[in-house]
Amino acid sequence: MNAAPLARRPLGCLKATLRQTRHQRLLVRHMATEASQTTSKPPVQHGFYPITDPKKKTIRTAFAVYPQGTVAGVKNASPPPSNVLQALHEAQIKRLDPTGVRTAMFGKNRDAVKPGDVLMITHRRGGEPFAGVVMSIRRRGIDSAVLLRNHLGKIGVEMWFKIYNKNVAGIDIIKRAPKRARRARLTYMRQPKHDMGSVENLVFEWKRTRKVFSTAKSAAGAGGKNAKGAKAAKKK
Amino acid sequence: MIQLKTLLNCIDNSGAAIVECAQIIGQKRHASIGDRIVVVVQKQRSANADGMAGAGAPKVKRGDIRHAIVVRTRQPVQRRDGSVVRFDDNACVLINKAGDPIGSRINGVVGSELRKKKWSRILSMAPMQA
Repeated sequence: MNAAPLARRPLGCLKATLRQTRHQRLLVRHMATEASQTTSKPPVQHGFYPITDPKKKTIRTAFAVYPQGTVAGVKNASPPPSNVLQALHEAQIKRLDPTGVRTAMFGKNRDAVKPGDVLMITHRRGGEPFAGVVMSIRRRGIDSAVLLRNHLGKIGVEMWFKIYNKNVAGIDIIKRAPKRARRARLTYMRQPKHDMGSVENLVFEWKRTRKVFSTAKSAAGAGGKNAKGAKAAKKK
Repeated sequence: MIQLKTLLNCIDNSGAAIVECAQIIGQKRHASIGDRIVVVVQKQRSANADGMAGAGAPKVKRGDIRHAIVVRTRQPVQRRDGSVVRFDDNACVLINKAGDPIGSRINGVVGSELRKKKWSRILSMAPMQA
């Protein structure tokens, strides 16, 4: 078809070759797998490729090339361990509580804190330490928290504290419950009939006894270090 | 969770004892600690109410419409570090249109969320914060 007009129109030749290349490109695009098998693969440089904005000199967008085998669904990738979450929680607890004091403090042993005990929690961010009766303990691995209730100027205040929080500088046991509480959550303490009221006098008493039994130096650092505070409280 | 018709304690010495929420300013949801609301004074504080000695003449009367800042809520409020605070009542402090407190002192604990919401005048007046 093209042979006859070729002589008259030399540009037609160019047109034909262009059409041919276009067809070839289409073929490659449609049969990408086929084409890649035939052509030699360029070496994959895996890494992070930022594309910077020439005007602002900031990263406009970026993409990452991962080594082969990391794509989801690849057969040869090893299956994840069965208890991933548990392992993660353990690793996080180990990072945030290297000595294991807080884990022991809120564990399920005899010495552990129980609902009905009175705790004092010191914040690293300054502010008054918050003391209160333990109303419930929420054991959820790294998210473990404790609910304290107190009265601040005739108004009941309840606070949840994460026990593994880095901002929680110290947890001190002010007073143990005289009798084991028969509930896990002492929500009945919100009723006026069962409300313990303020624990301020208990805290005051505790501070006085600490001053008597300890040297001036350690009394000054009371509550500063969690480990020290917890151990001192456990001895009593 | 302060919304229309919620009754709040007024804990300053402006003369109001119980106020009712009439509108929440600046948002479509319920109000929390540090939010500004419009209130109607429902009950006046008697002359010699406890803890308000030397209050003088009440600055607001029953039926007055004023602005107020929520300082305590029964609804738990979560903080950035995961700790949660919950008070046993809903309370507020009356302010004028410019944002200055009407009363000269505050009687009771307030939430420290006020610091984040830039109500440091109220925080400095409060005897304690939780």
